[in-house]
Amino acid sequence: MDQVLDIILRFVAITVVFVVVLLVVAYTVLAERRILGFIQGRLGPNRVGYGGSLQPFADLLKFILKEDIVPDKSTRFIYFLAPVIATMAALMTMIVYPFGPEVTLPVIGSIQLVVARFDVALLYVLGITSLGVYGIALAGWSSNNKYSLMGGLRSSAQMISYELALGLSLIGPIMLAGSLDLGQIVEGQSRWHGTGWLILFAPLSFITYLIAAIAETNRVPFDLPEAETELVAGFHTEYSAMKFALFFLAEYINMFTVSMLATTLFLGGWNVPFADVVFGRGTFLFALVSVIGFLLKVIFFLFLYIWIRGTLPRFRFDQLMSFGWKFLLPLALVSIFVTATLIFLNVL
Amino acid sequence: MLVLLFILFGGLAIGCAINVVAQRNPLYCAISLIGVFMALASLYLMLAAPFIAAVQVIVYAGAIMVLVVFVIMLLNVEQEEKRRIRMGFLVPAAIALAAVLIAEVSFLLAFVDSEPLQRSDVGLTRSIGPALFTQYLLPFEITSILLLMAIVGAMTLARRTGELSPRARVVPGDQMLALSEIDPTTSHEEPGTIEAHTTSEAARVLGITDLRDQTKRDK
Repeated sequence: MDQVLDIILRFVAITVVFVVVLLVVAYTVLAERRILGFIQGRLGPNRVGYGGSLQPFADLLKFILKEDIVPDKSTRFIYFLAPVIATMAALMTMIVYPFGPEVTLPVIGSIQLVVARFDVALLYVLGITSLGVYGIALAGWSSNNKYSLMGGLRSSAQMISYELALGLSLIGPIMLAGSLDLGQIVEGQSRWHGTGWLILFAPLSFITYLIAAIAETNRVPFDLPEAETELVAGFHTEYSAMKFALFFLAEYINMFTVSMLATTLFLGGWNVPFADVVFGRGTFLFALVSVIGFLLKVIFFLFLYIWIRGTLPRFRFDQLMSFGWKFLLPLALVSIFVTATLIFLNVL
Repeated sequence: MLVLLFILFGGLAIGCAINVVAQRNPLYCAISLIGVFMALASLYLMLAAPFIAAVQVIVYAGAIMVLVVFVIMLLNVEQEEKRRIRMGFLVPAAIALAAVLIAEVSFLLAFVDSEPLQRSDVGLTRSIGPALFTQYLLPFEITSILLLMAIVGAMTLARRTGELSPRARVVPGDQMLALSEIDPTTSHEEPGTIEAHTTSEAARVLGITDLRDQTKRDK
């Protein structure tokens, strides 16, 4: 009986997380267009619903109703497979993030607000993220279009290069928390009434992570794989209708994922400062405030992404590579060295 | 439940492995190989070795296979054509080896006691880490040096600057310049090319000390 209840709970949790992710992603797209409009001194979409609030659904309808064009000389099987891989790899990491503390509910009893908790959650995230590159590379190759191929190759090179810096920047928080389990990492940050955030102890790692994460998600200023001025639309030039929508979705889910990882590792996860003093640990209100705090931190990172997109110009490809290998990677190594030394000297 | 999952992922691994050999398009082979690695990672996970499973996905599926796919895409390898089997003596050899393998497996299944899987800590990160940095430190360090040597070797092979040959091939990212474009005093009949990473490097190789020297350019 317990097992059945557990499975049902997990299905509910997966559904809730999935729906929340899709909603947040849909409104991130809207927010991006409105905020970019504000930054560039124009209005942005504000006609559908109040202030454009129904725009995501209008967009979805448009994606579904568009004609789906498949290029004649494409490698059909891989052409269809690529967007599936991209979206799946983006969605699969969602399950490991703890979005709230343990909470006691009536009927169900005590539950943890996370879909799956396991020993190597962080490595799982890294592994699944590294699979995302296949979606883009295969899309570029199978479209049989030179711009698509260039975009796919650029993206592969870029993601392999920045994955190193990304992985190294995670080592600082791992050493400080002494675990690869995201739940344990977050709980380790709840000392000093929820203000023991790891960003205080590993600021260099945080900066490295932030930059590498932007590059991993192919966002401005690292959006070389889809640089409009030189590659039409990069790897998804030949994709239309829902298949394009899946790539679009994958990109924004990836943004959401790296924001959640940044929140979990560096900004204390669901820890809200002094919430345990006000509400008391383990109560329902405490859990609610924690979940809202977690979402707000993630939304802050999403806003940061949009802000950067509205502010910075695009790198040139050689600049991108030399920045990744000659600046970011050494910076990550230095941050590991500093953190390890401080831990060795018992300062932290 | 565990048995069902084992059958699912074991079958997936075998199916993908057969597909690797059977497919004629190299890219399909590579994708099938990724499937094999993913199925193996799931099997490791079921054997209570989550760290190995994660490393399998990160290293094999996420890094090595990306390179393989990358190379296949870059070289644009054509679909392999059907042709007569060469080295026909390998077929009976393969059948004999397969028979030996099946005999071994059936011997193991029939005569060796199989204890049910115990919950052990061997595959966990917190037991692999200390072992790697204490008991197995020397092999670990030797492997690191081996990898470093490979990296340095690749770098030295790839970066051969300063070498010049008039019939040099175009290397992506490098600049090909006609001699007459930099030094107008040379004859136009035989332009000749030089290989250099930047314009200033090309100028240095050609013996032009000041690239912006207008007197030389205006002649």
